[in-house]
Amino acid sequence: MIGYLTTILALVSIAALIAFALNVQWGMCGMVNFGLAGFVALGAYVTALITLQGWGTIPAVAAAVVACAVMGALVSLISVRLSEDYLAIVTLGFGEVIRLVTLNEAWLTGGAMGLPGIPRPLIDVIGDDQYETFYLVGCIAVVACVFAVLEITTRAPFGRALRAVRDDDLVASSLGKDVLILRIKAFALGGAITGLAGAMQAFQFSYIDPSQFTPIMTAYAFMAVIAGGRGSHRGLILGACSIMFLLEATRFLKDVIDVLDNAQIAAIRLILIGAGLIALLIYRPQGLIPEYRMRAPAGPRGGGDPAPDARRTGADTAKETTHPDYQMTPSPKE
Amino acid sequence: MAQLILNGVVTGLIVALPAIALSLTFAILKFPNFAIGAMLTFAAYIAWALNTLAGVPLVAAAALTLVLFPAVTLICDSGVFRPLRNRGPITLMVASMGLSFVLENVCRLVFGNDARNFDIPLSRPLRYAGLRINYEQIVAAGVAVAALILVYLILLRSPLGRAMRAVADNPDLAAARGIDDGRVIKATWILAGVLIAASSVLVGMDRAIDPQMGWNYIIVCFAAAVVGGMGSPAGAVVGALGMGIIGELATLVVDPNYRAGVAFLAIALVLLIRPHGLFGRREIKK
Repeated sequence: MIGYLTTILALVSIAALIAFALNVQWGMCGMVNFGLAGFVALGAYVTALITLQGWGTIPAVAAAVVACAVMGALVSLISVRLSEDYLAIVTLGFGEVIRLVTLNEAWLTGGAMGLPGIPRPLIDVIGDDQYETFYLVGCIAVVACVFAVLEITTRAPFGRALRAVRDDDLVASSLGKDVLILRIKAFALGGAITGLAGAMQAFQFSYIDPSQFTPIMTAYAFMAVIAGGRGSHRGLILGACSIMFLLEATRFLKDVIDVLDNAQIAAIRLILIGAGLIALLIYRPQGLIPEYRMRAPAGPRGGGDPAPDARRTGADTAKETTHPDYQMTPSPKE
Repeated sequence: MAQLILNGVVTGLIVALPAIALSLTFAILKFPNFAIGAMLTFAAYIAWALNTLAGVPLVAAAALTLVLFPAVTLICDSGVFRPLRNRGPITLMVASMGLSFVLENVCRLVFGNDARNFDIPLSRPLRYAGLRINYEQIVAAGVAVAALILVYLILLRSPLGRAMRAVADNPDLAAARGIDDGRVIKATWILAGVLIAASSVLVGMDRAIDPQMGWNYIIVCFAAAVVGGMGSPAGAVVGALGMGIIGELATLVVDPNYRAGVAFLAIALVLLIRPHGLFGRREIKK
């Protein structure tokens, strides 16, 4: 059971990293990436190929991060001058191309058989017994570092500029922000994080094959970002954890209803993800924890969702204007 | 070479139908429908279930699918897209991805992962002037051309088509002229549903039906629509034919498995060189 939990938690941290990447690209900058799984696969294969050549962990991970960042920049460059719809199409195509390459270039990627025997970092030093625990701690440390960097970035001028681009790129560009460069940077940053996630995925089972990088990985990241609140890194961790545990719970459905086989359980899981995605978009688009704002609204609700707040203050002012006392007081403008 | 071009034209004609559906929904609803692949899969399974499980002859099963599947697209619209109508293209397109997971996996849950085939007899290909022509290819080309003519007549020669083009061009102006956009959106989904259903049967005749089949067509479909200019149905047809022929000819140089890769390259090139497609209009973003 402990072994199962450590594995699940390690997988949650990989999933959280992928969701972080999407959060930078989509949550903060409004660029949808449907090819996330392809980016993660790229990172994983680069890591695997370099470590299998006998290089150490650090150069391999660095190469994966750089490769994914460069690829992210290139992919966004194709459609960065156009509306976001086109970028989504391009990323979907990119993901498909990566999948095809990993499947068909057997000389490089092992094809459908995958790449076995990827050396896990520091396994000689730690030993097999405690390794899973060590690996989990390592994963959580990586997630914590990325989280810290992203929290700082969000509050930095760069993060504010990204959100400005997301909310209205025309306004951002007329205020002198270079929208093009900002978008490319955001996409490259997201790409770098997927590279990291890919490296962790490669070390997780010390084996990779194309079937690990399916659209479910992408769907899961979208689910986590929407559930956690777009643009909010804190909410995202909460979202990632709760969804992973909900989905893992469906594994035990099999014990309850034994008519279902594994394929059907997997199908049910994906139906839940899809339906949950739609339901969240319709009923709770702001997610569990709303994103960071420069000025948090004061008051007992502190940080409540913006839409009802706006409506409420609108109603309040409407009421106040009809109030006789209010008409007597001069408004601040005058 | 001639054989490849012939195959390419037939593939292009089959892809043209969902590509038009994609272009129409993009023109009217202003978002790219990423569920188009899963919709194709779903329609193919409806036809397959009618054909093999219920034992209806394929022609009748196809006709029934043409009637039944638009109901599915209408349900999708009222359940998913209508509540999100004014939330902008990004939300709609993420929702369409969610919808695609639901549709694809409903098929997987009910029918399993196995590849299925329609109950049609195998037939010997015809030979004409050194070309091999399958019976399925003739049917596919005939049906696709008929569907294209029908769409052309609806869009350009009927009051409904006029209303659709008006809404696509300027929704506010169309509304001011008394066009009911709810009705136009319903009509768009019905038309898209018919086109997707028709092509799903043709694809199913050509290849096997499995839950993944939509993914094999989605990139090519988008490539056709992007090359032709998103939102331009006529462009989608030309784009689809072009993609079909290029896809077949590319097998001379690259592995046939890389068809989607060729389509991706086409998307990338067109977006870099002529971002609004070969026939699209440059739109001014608000």
